[in-house]
Amino acid sequence: MEALLESFAGIGALQGTPAWVIPALAMFTYGVIVLGGVALAGMFFIWTERKVAGFMQSRYGPMYVGGWHGILQSIADGVKLLLKEDIWPEGADKFLWRLAPILVFVGAFLSFVVLPFGPRAVGAELDMGLLYVFATSSLVVMGILAAGWGSANKWSLYGAMRGAAQVISYEIPLGLAVMPVVMSVGSMNLTTLAASQQGWLWNWHVFHPIFVFSFFIYLISSLAEVNRTPFDLPETESELVSGYHTEYTGMKFAFFFLGEYADMFVVSAIAVSVFLGGWSTGIPYLDRILPAPLVFIGKSVVLVFVQIWLRWTLPRLRVDQLMYVCWKVFIPISLGLLLVYGLARTITG
Amino acid sequence: MVRMLQDILVSAKTIAVGMGITLKYLGKKPVTQQYPDERWALPDRFRGFVHNDVPRCTACTACARDCPVDCIYIETEGKGKERKMTRFAIDYNKCIWCSLCTEHCPTDCITMSHDYDHAVYRRERLVYEFVTEPVVPYKPVKEARAKAAAKPAAKPAAGDKAATGAKPGPKSEAPAKPEAPAESAAQPAKPDTPGVPDAGSPEPPQEA
Repeated sequence: MEALLESFAGIGALQGTPAWVIPALAMFTYGVIVLGGVALAGMFFIWTERKVAGFMQSRYGPMYVGGWHGILQSIADGVKLLLKEDIWPEGADKFLWRLAPILVFVGAFLSFVVLPFGPRAVGAELDMGLLYVFATSSLVVMGILAAGWGSANKWSLYGAMRGAAQVISYEIPLGLAVMPVVMSVGSMNLTTLAASQQGWLWNWHVFHPIFVFSFFIYLISSLAEVNRTPFDLPETESELVSGYHTEYTGMKFAFFFLGEYADMFVVSAIAVSVFLGGWSTGIPYLDRILPAPLVFIGKSVVLVFVQIWLRWTLPRLRVDQLMYVCWKVFIPISLGLLLVYGLARTITG
Repeated sequence: MVRMLQDILVSAKTIAVGMGITLKYLGKKPVTQQYPDERWALPDRFRGFVHNDVPRCTACTACARDCPVDCIYIETEGKGKERKMTRFAIDYNKCIWCSLCTEHCPTDCITMSHDYDHAVYRRERLVYEFVTEPVVPYKPVKEARAKAAAKPAAKPAAGDKAATGAKPGPKSEAPAKPEAPAESAAQPAKPDTPGVPDAGSPEPPQEA
């Protein structure tokens, strides 16, 4: 963002324009870049998911569209979804029905504002960055509830209720898990958090004896947060058809889908900036060569792969097991970690 | 408390094992066969769609009479030198792939090919017409028949050898070269059927 501002300020044609023009242009450009990136990344993740799922099950997945290993399959699917008829169920609440996909996608998209792609490549350096991310990802819950209620379909509503219960429950361990790190750095600003782990590999928070447990709690809770297997109870193809987005077709469905994959990237990116060193490669010499956004995105993509990997390995949990894991395992442990780290910090000063 | 920690340890371990297995499969080559592009190597005796090599067909109707479901239709016109085959059709709606039709063919012109993916949209399309315009049926070469008749004694040994040697040969080759000239293709196949005389004799008295 700063880099964009500077480069816009350097353009001769923009000299002498009112003061708001350059920031507005920079914001618009950043938004366009992120939106395009999210759409492309979403398509790439969908293709990756299908290929990984295929190979893990000893089959190929998409093979034909676009030559090499069906690389353009997602684009073909996107075109298909664009051309589909927009059907809505009789008795649907039209307003909520239309609002839901927008809320889900916007909720995922808003988080990109604070993701630190590099020391100078952040949308906005909010001091309450982490809180902001958790707040915007709660918008997704609103979208899911709106979709379930607006669909006028009992299965969709079941899915939506489960989704709301699950996402809201798991936000507690999610928030508690990052607290020790926030305590140690003294900031919720994601850029500051990432910048505190530069240098060698062992500066990453994930190699801290206490933060490593926080990291795993965060990782598992984030799976529940984005409704992915083994916590994909809002969707559960086998019991709820596909949960809250059963009734959606065409572009509305595409928005749900894109929102889900964008959300996967967001939670991975936060894990990277809080625990895995942000844009640092772990070797100072490499940091000077490799561009920061590339390293950051690369690490996030690896974490997205881990999510996909988990999805095709583990079966789905039951609702009560899901809640058990959250309330009786993760919350006590993360509270304990917070306590232990606080005590240790107080004693050592 | 201890129980919970044990549970966590066990589940972490089992998840790690499971993820190891899926990761191992991620690196392996899938077992999928890209079907229309890749195909199985079929065994020699595979019973695919029945193929009739029309230039070698004598229109003797042995196959049609052998067929347990009457799915082979052979029609002829005229007699003697004027005799022509006007239709040779196989209805694959009925065919049970028993391969009995290939057993008594005097010229081994009807064979089980290696084709199997002839899916069609309409049932009518599964009636395969092999003869589009009337053709003169193949006349077995005289000397070959005479030779076969002259050496009935030498048959068992030579015949067996020829049978084992020649039978898989034409069957697998026939679909590959359907336009092979009748004389040259038929001659090696001739002596291996002891049934030539009685399979050939019903041919002239056959009436349309």
